[in-house]
Amino acid sequence: MDIAAVDAVIDGLKRAGVDFVSLMPDSDFSVLQERVVNDADFTYVPVSNEAIGVGVCVGAWLSGKRPALLVPTSGLLVAAWPLTSLCMAWSLPLLLLIPYRGDIGDAFWLMGPYKDTTEPLLKVLNAPYSVISKNEEISSAIVDAQGSTISWQRPVAVLLTGETIK
Amino acid sequence: MKRFDCLQSLAPLLDEKTIVVTNVGPICREWNSLRPSDANLLQVNLGLCAAVGLGVAVSLPHRQVVMLDGDGNLLLNLASLADLANQNLSNVLHIVLDNESYEGGGGLKSATAGKADLAAIARGAGIVNASVVTSVESFAAAARRGLNRSGHHFIVAKVEQGSVAKLPTLTIDGKEGKYRFARHIEASEGVEILRPRYSHI
Repeated sequence: MDIAAVDAVIDGLKRAGVDFVSLMPDSDFSVLQERVVNDADFTYVPVSNEAIGVGVCVGAWLSGKRPALLVPTSGLLVAAWPLTSLCMAWSLPLLLLIPYRGDIGDAFWLMGPYKDTTEPLLKVLNAPYSVISKNEEISSAIVDAQGSTISWQRPVAVLLTGETIK
Repeated sequence: MKRFDCLQSLAPLLDEKTIVVTNVGPICREWNSLRPSDANLLQVNLGLCAAVGLGVAVSLPHRQVVMLDGDGNLLLNLASLADLANQNLSNVLHIVLDNESYEGGGGLKSATAGKADLAAIARGAGIVNASVVTSVESFAAAARRGLNRSGHHFIVAKVEQGSVAKLPTLTIDGKEGKYRFARHIEASEGVEILRPRYSHI
């Protein structure tokens, strides 16, 4: 993720009112993580797996925060369990930002399976999503997703692909 | 030592603003019968009680947060102990009612019936104030020390399987629990949580 994309994500999070960010440290988030850690506008809670991240964000939202969970495509599979047992069962909102590794154009062979899992899994989890490939679209997509997740009381995801994660 | 007796000794120690996050299963039914309150967040599913409690405790550092966890619930996601420890929280009392079994799932043994020592694991994760208690008196004393936002405390209470007779059924589901808790936080903290939109974003 280059600096322009990171800038756009930070801008979108702030415009969306996000004040709490949880993530498991991951190479796709390294620059973004650094920015979040050093930005006093965000409470930052690193977690050791994405399932914990969902639980942390649920607790934060119920306590008056506006959380976002940054999830790699592999971690979405780990998060599937609390996205089911908490978010689906309780009708809870959660803004998910997902660098879409394994999308067409991602040449790393190990990422290939995530083309098969990511979008079908979000559909099964009753989590609508936008697929964003241009940096200029990131910020508004995050704002829109945040509005929808709060109003619909279910997770909404923004999948970042194309130039946004190059 | 009976779990219900431990919880009965804990309830009078809490003020009305103390937030309690509980495991699903017999713990939440017992707790709800002893301390019915919208400051309770009940029925957090397996592996997630500590994670949800972490999110609450970080977000409301001025409020005492008590987690009523089970050994099976915590064992499923032990890494949450490390993530809790690294936040250096001063408002967490994390109680594991350790019956060494999956009582809600039929009573088969958990790993703590074998060699696993949750207090040692918690200390290894960085939680200095971790202890094991085996009597109601020692449980109540440890709980008292862990309240009033005095730090991050972890108590393993070794309890028997089994609950009390005629325990009331819990009649709210997670959705209703969510609304009750969120409305309580809105009222007590002066924040807005639940706000459906009526126009295009």
